[in-house]
Amino acid sequence: MSATDEKAPAASIANLTVALTRDGVRAEVLRGVDLKIQRGEIVGLVGESGSGKSVLALALMGLLPSSSRPETTGTITIAGTDMIDGSAEQIRAVRRHELGVIFQDPMTSLNPTMRVGRQITEATGDKAESLRLMSAVGIQDAALRFTVYPHELSGGLRQRIMAAIASAGRPSLIIADEPTTALDVTVQAQVLDLLRQLRDEFGCSVVLITHDLAVAAQIADRIAVLYAGRIAELGPADVVLREPTHPYTVGLLNSRLALDTPRDTVLQTLRPETATVAERMRGCAYSSRCPLADDTCRAQQPPLLAVDGSGAVDGSEHVRACWRDAATVRELALTRSDAPRILVSGSSTESAAPAVVVEGVHQRFVVRSGGRKREVHALRGIDLTIGAGEAVSIVGESGSGKSTLLRAIAGLVPVTSGRVDVARGGAQMVFQDAGSSLTPWLSVGEILGERLLPLRLGKTETAARVTTALEAIGLPASVSRVRPADLSGGQRQRVALARATMIPPAVLLCDEPTSALDASLAASVLNLIRGMREELSMTVLFVTHDLSVARLMGDRVVVMTEGRIVEDGTADQVIHHPEHPYTRSLLASVPEIEAVR
Amino acid sequence: MTRFLLRRTGSAVVLVLVLTAVVFVLQAVSPGDPVKAYLGNNASPAAIAAQRQALGLNDPLPVQYFHYIVHALQGNLGMSLRTRRPVMADLHDFLPATVELVAVAFVLALLLGSLYAVSGSLRWPGGAFFRGPLLVLATAPPFLLALGGIILFYAQLQVLPAAGRGVDSTGPSGFVLIDSILGGDATEFVAGVQHLVLPAVILSIAPSISIGRILRSSLDSTLASDYVRTARSKGLRPIVVLGKHVVRNSLGPGLSMAGLQLGFMFAGVVVVEQVFSWPGIGNYLAASIPTSDFPAIAGVTLVLGIIYIVANALVDVLQALADPRLNA
Repeated sequence: MSATDEKAPAASIANLTVALTRDGVRAEVLRGVDLKIQRGEIVGLVGESGSGKSVLALALMGLLPSSSRPETTGTITIAGTDMIDGSAEQIRAVRRHELGVIFQDPMTSLNPTMRVGRQITEATGDKAESLRLMSAVGIQDAALRFTVYPHELSGGLRQRIMAAIASAGRPSLIIADEPTTALDVTVQAQVLDLLRQLRDEFGCSVVLITHDLAVAAQIADRIAVLYAGRIAELGPADVVLREPTHPYTVGLLNSRLALDTPRDTVLQTLRPETATVAERMRGCAYSSRCPLADDTCRAQQPPLLAVDGSGAVDGSEHVRACWRDAATVRELALTRSDAPRILVSGSSTESAAPAVVVEGVHQRFVVRSGGRKREVHALRGIDLTIGAGEAVSIVGESGSGKSTLLRAIAGLVPVTSGRVDVARGGAQMVFQDAGSSLTPWLSVGEILGERLLPLRLGKTETAARVTTALEAIGLPASVSRVRPADLSGGQRQRVALARATMIPPAVLLCDEPTSALDASLAASVLNLIRGMREELSMTVLFVTHDLSVARLMGDRVVVMTEGRIVEDGTADQVIHHPEHPYTRSLLASVPEIEAVR
Repeated sequence: MTRFLLRRTGSAVVLVLVLTAVVFVLQAVSPGDPVKAYLGNNASPAAIAAQRQALGLNDPLPVQYFHYIVHALQGNLGMSLRTRRPVMADLHDFLPATVELVAVAFVLALLLGSLYAVSGSLRWPGGAFFRGPLLVLATAPPFLLALGGIILFYAQLQVLPAAGRGVDSTGPSGFVLIDSILGGDATEFVAGVQHLVLPAVILSIAPSISIGRILRSSLDSTLASDYVRTARSKGLRPIVVLGKHVVRNSLGPGLSMAGLQLGFMFAGVVVVEQVFSWPGIGNYLAASIPTSDFPAIAGVTLVLGIIYIVANALVDVLQALADPRLNA
């Protein structure tokens, strides 16, 4: 730690505005952000994709990508150094001595061709210190692991290596940008513990950037909610979570899926964005989506003021940027919207033949890495019967074999041994990454029309069917002329869903269709699948790593680990009375926001 | 790593065997009679029959193939119909000149290609003034460049010679540059360089663009990668980030392309050697083709093929060294 005043904040951001130019379009990504990060505190920076949270992280490090021609006004001061106008030499010294960073994906964030020990030593400058840090971040047999390459480590260990690099040189501030998003829940809990431990042991501050309020809730002292490049609400974590005073925070909390989200109602979502960029620049950026917005909200940008009305802002109190009074917003939080009930169980028809029968399925792959061949036994004797009209969720962590099972049912890979039967009508699949599963050079209309080819409908009839299918997923008919790249992530996933269900399949297979989406968007896609299921009495097999999603999407929940099914029961049984120790450990790792609402 | 090396060597050996089979068939179906090449056109029929028997030409084809391989391994590639000397002796005379030319051109191609890639990726000011002309030159066919080069540097400016290697190399290595250094002969070295410059530069231009463009696109994607961002966030100096994190991870595609281009350069050297009267196998080959000198053609094919296979095997090994994931 540098010899600056002990009471000075670890980092202070004042009136920071950043404009980036991407694809020839200049946009203000951050607009007048004020934030002081005190010494030794953990600040959770929460926002949806596009809120500017990652740009803030890059700005803090002075690493805004020069390719997007950043224009910055305002100030960022870390250890007395101006991170915007300081010399390259000074900024680099701050990065070296005062800052540590942990990025989202530890696989891509570590140099694949350099031994991890060397990558740590680049930051520490000393092998003994690197080994000490490796032990400090919980890496066992540090001396052995020192000489391996990143691809030889698990995701959790890789993120610990990143943590060791980040804590090199006793930084005064660690910036963690979605450090757990790419990891399994059990590993996520460990990494969050590690961040708290780094703060406790080294006394450094932590900026934890996340899209998940519950993740921030685990370890943050203060939470800042970012919306469209501005701070919407900022305050002590328990206050912001328990007494949110900004409608956006309330919306985020309500649309978050948890283990106690009601199963029999439509999931709450935020209103979709309807305003143009210009309209959003004029008043409160959230006004077009806010259920409480009035004319003032649409006309003037609200200032960031203390909730208790004391006026002065020194950084520690609860502040928000909203014209409506706090009491009204509190009411919004308490009144759960009168969501219509939907039918989620009992549609299974016992008498009909099962939609999917899987018997004694084994799946082995030979993985060739360089000279050596290694056999992966992905499925080890799976028996699963899914009745017609049933909704089943499969939960497991990466490597559990859940996606392999889904692919086997879809017939995408031949199984090594055993039997897979799918009823007439076949299986259709919706993948995690809708962006890459839609052919980029075809228009949405062509992608959907392709599915109708075997029916030989003719041009007009096909076009009519495409329009109906788009209506069913809540998109206007004009979307059929658009290419996938011009759609948002949520819209793309809707199109993928339309493609799969245009001709109703015997079973709809969903492979983590919402894990890449923001909470509210994910909820709306889940609503769509549940609605379709009800309407078409379709059989749905839903694969996810998220227990709360599994509970919502399946009457039955199947837990898989290491290629085996270890638990299979009704959703309530599995969530509330888990029998297998693995299910219990999964449940214990799910981040929850306690006693809110 | 040893497993990888063994596997790669194994596949290279198989490739060479396939190549010899092709070359053997080429010889077997060739119209020239190797016996007459040995004995001359005036030999008696009895002598020819005896020689055929002695050379094993009456044996079944597989047996002949086996003998061909055994002979090739012993350095016997048959007699040239045109020069009436063993093909091996001809190759020994002509190959060093070509290898020297291609080696220098290849090093030049690597340098120009790297400069092209780095100046583009790092947006060096003025880099476009280098890349533009290089691109324009690469669009012209080599013979045109060669003629233009001779007109400009030999006829007009009179700074470079137009033909030959400048010396009758009789030194131990067969390479002018190496022999002159070994012999401590500065004049000969300078003459060697002067004669090499023009053909080598012309031979290197097209490959340098191929290597440079591939290398540039992989540099660009590496510079944008997450781990380079991590390296920067450590506060490393830009030159350290470049040297330790960017370059090594960008080499793979460039190396593959370099291996391919080396093979193409040996094939393309024929034209350049013709224009510059370079006493190498390109010229030898060009003289052998009109006279249907199949043993000579087959010999050159075999040697070039082996060089190509060895070069690409080497590239694979270098790639494995650069990227530990390839031999995990």
